[in-house]
Amino acid sequence: MSAIPLIRTLNLSKHYDTAVGKLVVLHEVNVSIYPGEFVAIMGPSGSGKTTFMNLLGCLDVPSSGEYYLQEHTVGETSSDQLSKFRNQLIGFVFQGYNLLARLTALDNVALPLVYAGWGKEKRDVRALEMLEKVGLARFASFNPNQLSGGQQQRVAIARALANHAPLLLADEPTGNLDTATSDEIMMLFTELSQRDGVTIVLVTHEPDIARYAKRLIHFRDGRVLDDSPHTTSGSTSVPST
Amino acid sequence: MMSSFMFMVMEAWRALGSNRLRTLLTMLGMIIGVAAVVLMLAVGSGAQYSVNQSIAAMGSNLFIVLSGAQTSGGRFMGMGTTPTLTLGDAQAIGQLSNVAAVAPVVPGSAQIVYAGNNWSTAVSGTTPGYLSVHNWPLAHGRNITESDIRTEARVAILGQTVSTNLFGDTDPIGKIIRITGYPYLVIGQLSVKGQSLNGQDQDDTVLIPVTTALHQLFGSQFVDSVRFIMAQAASLSTMIQVQEDMDALLRQRHHLRGSKPDDFAIRNLTQLAQTASDTARVMSLLLGAIASISLIVGGIGIMNIMLVSVTERTREIGIRMAVGARRRDILLQFLLESIFISVSGCLIGVCLGVGGAYLVMGLTHTTVIVTGFSIVLAFLVAAAIGIFFGFYPARIASLMKPIDALRFQ
Repeated sequence: MSAIPLIRTLNLSKHYDTAVGKLVVLHEVNVSIYPGEFVAIMGPSGSGKTTFMNLLGCLDVPSSGEYYLQEHTVGETSSDQLSKFRNQLIGFVFQGYNLLARLTALDNVALPLVYAGWGKEKRDVRALEMLEKVGLARFASFNPNQLSGGQQQRVAIARALANHAPLLLADEPTGNLDTATSDEIMMLFTELSQRDGVTIVLVTHEPDIARYAKRLIHFRDGRVLDDSPHTTSGSTSVPST
Repeated sequence: MMSSFMFMVMEAWRALGSNRLRTLLTMLGMIIGVAAVVLMLAVGSGAQYSVNQSIAAMGSNLFIVLSGAQTSGGRFMGMGTTPTLTLGDAQAIGQLSNVAAVAPVVPGSAQIVYAGNNWSTAVSGTTPGYLSVHNWPLAHGRNITESDIRTEARVAILGQTVSTNLFGDTDPIGKIIRITGYPYLVIGQLSVKGQSLNGQDQDDTVLIPVTTALHQLFGSQFVDSVRFIMAQAASLSTMIQVQEDMDALLRQRHHLRGSKPDDFAIRNLTQLAQTASDTARVMSLLLGAIASISLIVGGIGIMNIMLVSVTERTREIGIRMAVGARRRDILLQFLLESIFISVSGCLIGVCLGVGGAYLVMGLTHTTVIVTGFSIVLAFLVAAAIGIFFGFYPARIASLMKPIDALRFQ
């Protein structure tokens, strides 16, 4: 572990103003994640784990507290700057894959590079390289609806990595997949973590999936309940939802 | 950056291609609007051109002086029924300052014969000034001269239609024709003038000296009285003064004092022509304006569809933002789509409009002029409409919060 954290939150909070008063979703969360870590975030629905993930991913802004991504202070940045962080520092993998149906697998993977301003040839070479990494090079010209769920999720992972993002954020990446395919995807994450040193933060409520991570953070009622380095047999205290 | 832009253009193409019927229907608004504008402007400028042509042919800064109306038992018989104007009046008008040319006219019609051919046509007795008043040069030959007038010479100038019907392609000058039985020497041939504003063939005419017409051909009961006098002012700015001078002169010559009404009328033909020209221009503008309304309706159609499209594709917008699209990337993407629709619609519309214009020309034989200006204008307006009506939906798309857009089901 490096001495400088990739992610550091300081009293990070998020609340919404509703008709019945202030709804606190995240309450003063302090978490540091170092480069190369493989972290699973667990907790029941409404525990604030997805909100925490969205804040880490610069998709949402905190109500109070601070968030440092590498050397950047995220709270004080413009929307263009947030777009740049998402483009260059963060790769997303969603439960629903979130591929663009009109684009081929190759163009989907190349999409972040379009917004990074890469030339077409460079983009295609890089996107193909990424597809190869997830074992789908021969499906490059396929549209998402021609691919299985597991294949679509692999394309999504390739897209997340296309711009060499050091941080991979995965929100229930295996939620729509069967057990065997889930295991394949998790093996891929493990490989990316160990071989390429990608920092992975994974949100899940399945202990079997969380097992692949090296560190577990439990959320409940918007607070960190437990932050433990690697448990071999998974957590027994995870409440099912 | 350029290649990213090309990617976005291709994406706009794909996005529109994925819902062809909707894209086509949206485009249809633009197509109809642009076609209407191009067609209406073409018809309008065609009409304007015809009017201006006729006006130029008529001669400029013209007055026509008509003899007064006769009353018979309290019933007015219409202008020109009283033979109050004389050759002397015409000569006197010619002496006024700022009168460039004057031509008394004694109109009539007669049968004209040459060899085995005959033709019935309008014969006008007039003076040398007739040609310059009507801005009507001779094709060849010579004009009527003062000495022809003095001697009541039997000479004639033929219009093109008359010449063609009697002589075919041969040169009529120096030939002898017969007008109501009497021989006349052809001294000149008029150039082609074409149709008048009300569709008459102006080339179907013969000119002879006014004295010959009065004393020999028509044998007028009132010696030296002419039906009307054409007068041309030296310039547009002197027309009002010339009109006043003529009025004063004729009242004096006709011994009209105090409140006695005029026994003649002076008409300003240039004013009429100007009115006709203005009418044509206003009509042209009006047609264009009405057509432009359909263009705006087309633009609203684009805005409507783009709003639907933005809502439908909220999730796509969220995904794009998640992988790093900036607000301006999203804005540009949707703007490109609306511009694409409006400009493609414009292209098709211009083709239809030009085609329609030629169809109208072929079917109705009216003059229709498609100007490059109207096509360029249609393009600029279409692009502007694409940007204007596309901007609001595109801005809505670009201002979405990534987290809300991603959660959208």
